[in-house]
Amino acid sequence: MPKISRLFIKSGIIYFFLGMILAFVAELPFVNTGALLLPVYWHMIVVGWITQIIMGVSIWMFPRIGKDRKKTETIPAHLAFWLLNSGLILRFSVEPFLLLFTTNQAVLLVVLVSAILHISAIISYLIEIWPRVRTRPVIARRSE
Amino acid sequence: MMPLQSVFLIRLSLLWLLLSTLAGAILLVHKAYGIHPSTWLLLPLHFEMAIWGWMVQLVIGTAYWMFPRFLRSDIRGPELPAWILVILFNSGLVMILSGHLFTSIPGLIFSGRFFLLTGIGIFIYLIWARVISYRNV
Repeated sequence: MPKISRLFIKSGIIYFFLGMILAFVAELPFVNTGALLLPVYWHMIVVGWITQIIMGVSIWMFPRIGKDRKKTETIPAHLAFWLLNSGLILRFSVEPFLLLFTTNQAVLLVVLVSAILHISAIISYLIEIWPRVRTRPVIARRSE
Repeated sequence: MMPLQSVFLIRLSLLWLLLSTLAGAILLVHKAYGIHPSTWLLLPLHFEMAIWGWMVQLVIGTAYWMFPRFLRSDIRGPELPAWILVILFNSGLVMILSGHLFTSIPGLIFSGRFFLLTGIGIFIYLIWARVISYRNV
């Protein structure tokens, strides 16, 4: 398994655990967060856990271009990991407190940067995985 | 070798992932900057695209590609139902999204859900017999 896939999968497992902790804490009788933690919880599970596991496994298992037997780790794959995780960390650190800081420009800027990081991460992942989703190349088929 | 139906299913799922992320990013920015109240219309679209368009479709495409194949000429079963699955699943999703946006048009979400259900039914028909082991254990 390439290093980048291990990073995606281990990061996914951590978010899964954090998401479950958050869900547990939100249910404690003396904790009254209302719906504030709900988007954080859902994004920890759906993006942090499921999507990152899919990304890690697909980068590991999907067919590689040409005869890439060394399983080269590409820049877009690494970009996808670091952009997505920095975007998620920024988001989780400010989203529950947005109502308290509606006029704080620094907090609002963090949200904007987080949104841009999310989109950039997905575009990087698409650049990595799109050419690898294909039927067998024509040259290989002819040689059969 | 990845079959063409899986290429379509997986690539379409990647496009839905991008669209869902764009919708989510707009919603996130709206929470901070208050773009326009109607921005919240994107919330159900964000869910539907992420769950059905991205995750479920990717799973279907990958399962159709990787599950054990038949020991006969049509190694993944008949191809036509698989193509119908691709079309029904994605047109159904487009109908559901349109139904969320254009609430004045009745029956869009219902029809979309029916298309999705039929697509899933076809997937079960295609994959059921391939949940198998060829080892004698």
